[in-house]
Amino acid sequence: MSATPTASAAPPRPASTPGPDVVRLDPNRHVPGVRRPGFAQVLHAEWVKFWTVRSTGWSLGLLFLLGAGLTTLICWAVAEDLAAGDTGESPASFITWGLLFSQLTALALGTLVVTSEYGTGMIRASVTAVPRRGRVVAAKALLLTGVLFVAGVVTAVIGYLGGNWFLDREGVGLALSEDGVLRALLGNGLYLAGLGLFALALGLLIRHTAAALTIGMALVLVVGNLAYALPGTWGEWVAKLMPGNAGGSVAQVAPFSGGAVLAPWTGFAVFCAEVAVLLLVAVLAFRRRDA
Amino acid sequence: MIVARGLTKTYGPKTAVDHLSFTVEPGRVTGFLGPNGAGKSTTMRMILGLDRPTSGSVTVNGRSYAASPAPLREVGALLEARALHPGRSARDHLRWLAASNGIPRARIDEVLDLVGLEAVADQRVGRFSLGMGQRLGIAVALLGDPPVVVLDEPVNGLDPEGIRWVRRLARELAGQGRTVLVSSHLMSEMALTADHLIVVGRGRMLADCSMSQFIADHAASYVRVRSPRSAEVETLLRQHGLDVDRHDDELRVQGLDAAGIGELVGRAGLHLHELTLVQSSLEDAFMTLTADSVEYAAHPTETAGALR
Ligand SMILES: Nc1ncnc2c1ncn2[C@@H]1O[C@H](COP(=O)(O)OP(=O)(O)OP(=O)(O)O)[C@@H](O)[C@H]1O
Ligand SMILES: [Mg+2]
Repeated sequence: MSATPTASAAPPRPASTPGPDVVRLDPNRHVPGVRRPGFAQVLHAEWVKFWTVRSTGWSLGLLFLLGAGLTTLICWAVAEDLAAGDTGESPASFITWGLLFSQLTALALGTLVVTSEYGTGMIRASVTAVPRRGRVVAAKALLLTGVLFVAGVVTAVIGYLGGNWFLDREGVGLALSEDGVLRALLGNGLYLAGLGLFALALGLLIRHTAAALTIGMALVLVVGNLAYALPGTWGEWVAKLMPGNAGGSVAQVAPFSGGAVLAPWTGFAVFCAEVAVLLLVAVLAFRRRDA
Repeated sequence: MIVARGLTKTYGPKTAVDHLSFTVEPGRVTGFLGPNGAGKSTTMRMILGLDRPTSGSVTVNGRSYAASPAPLREVGALLEARALHPGRSARDHLRWLAASNGIPRARIDEVLDLVGLEAVADQRVGRFSLGMGQRLGIAVALLGDPPVVVLDEPVNGLDPEGIRWVRRLARELAGQGRTVLVSSHLMSEMALTADHLIVVGRGRMLADCSMSQFIADHAASYVRVRSPRSAEVETLLRQHGLDVDRHDDELRVQGLDAAGIGELVGRAGLHLHELTLVQSSLEDAFMTLTADSVEYAAHPTETAGALR
């Protein structure tokens, strides 16, 4: 690096106007490397950002513990009653039960990926490094969905293995080959990935960790459950279309008997559409607003 | 080269930047000066494409910042507020920035070394002092070895040694033919660094000239004259067409240097008790220039009497 400025002796003060003694910068003097960085470089940058903050490790660790751990725990607790037929529920409803809690961490992770940048001012560094803001969001979204999908599937599989061990002991276990089991394990990853995107979009719109997180959780959990109290078929439809209810059914082998839900893949398609619309609005706002 | 044309930014009813047009030339340090809230940081954010101008435009090397394929290689910037995650180490912060613009990792150690942060590179930046954070910001600005460097109050929080270092660095970068824009509200600081000055107040352009021009235009000087027979001296000087202001027993004379005045008075057989050239500092000149555009002036407290 020849042209690297060093803080050595003070150079003589040049004239106010650039004279002939001023060195013209050689355009090829730049540090080596990729001259026209593209999406791959932006993705790499987001990858580094993602894994170099503690909240990532915490969120993913909790996601696994809550998802796999609570599923195992509930199966251990209810296995006997299930075998006796006392619960009125199918064992299939319990095999991904931890998702109820692990979805919170997916929401948190998705929110933080954006709002932590707003909270710290990092967003300005991000946008100066990559002024094409759509690319920044695309890279974040791809990374987040990839990681959450893998984490969701791994968590569900471990939870299934743990929970099913107790169910099997009581003779009410589910084989992997049974209807909907594989779909639900895969669906865990899909649903959590979608939920992460949903939270990311909310974060982009709201730009404030606590507010975005609260609204995200309220929409998915609280409002989603309250909607079941709405009267009539109209109310039932509203409840079925709420993001958490629509998206969640793909991640369950069989729903609990309480609320009506859409068929797994129909529900997931509805959920994806909702996330896509929200994300589109968020990206448009992000591109227009001052960083 | 940075070129702004009619650059304007309003936030609601507030006009932060008001039709600024200027050119920041390569090969010299351009000082960007103005009191608090003058619109310096806002202008810099618009240069970097962070804020969208309400009207007007600004280009860097002939195109808008956002159009640059690898902006960190084109413009290096130190922003006013820290743009870092406190939980990340300095090295990791530089690592993602380098990755985003395809800059090789070896460059990270170079800039860390350059700003003197090698020893703490793996510490979380949340623990950094103000000055260390500022040094990291400068490392970020130099990461892509950019031909254009924009520094918003770079000496903020630095110790005297650090201040001198930034001064030298800015001069050196300009000496290499780079375009260097440095903001400050300290005229005295700029006097030591800048070749060219852009002075703003309340978003409006107050001066855009070379440093030496600014000194000639704004730093007023006069000769202070005291004499036991000051009335006679005053009449004499006025007769010779000089500007004389009387302040108590001192005369402030403009239009002739001290030696000339001394000879003039001596020839008339009058005695002088004082003959001093008084030059108002650049800081005063700056204060005078921006006096009308200071928004956030402190008002003298009136509690002194109560304490007695
Ligand atoms: N995002 C914003 N929203 C509303 N007003 C803003 C915003 N950013 C800046 N302003 C206002 O615009 C004006 C110019 O602010 P700016 O930060 O550019 O000043 P400055 O010259 O950098 O001041 P200082 O020397 O204190 O750093 C101020 O009155 C400020 O309150
Ligand atoms: Mg400022």
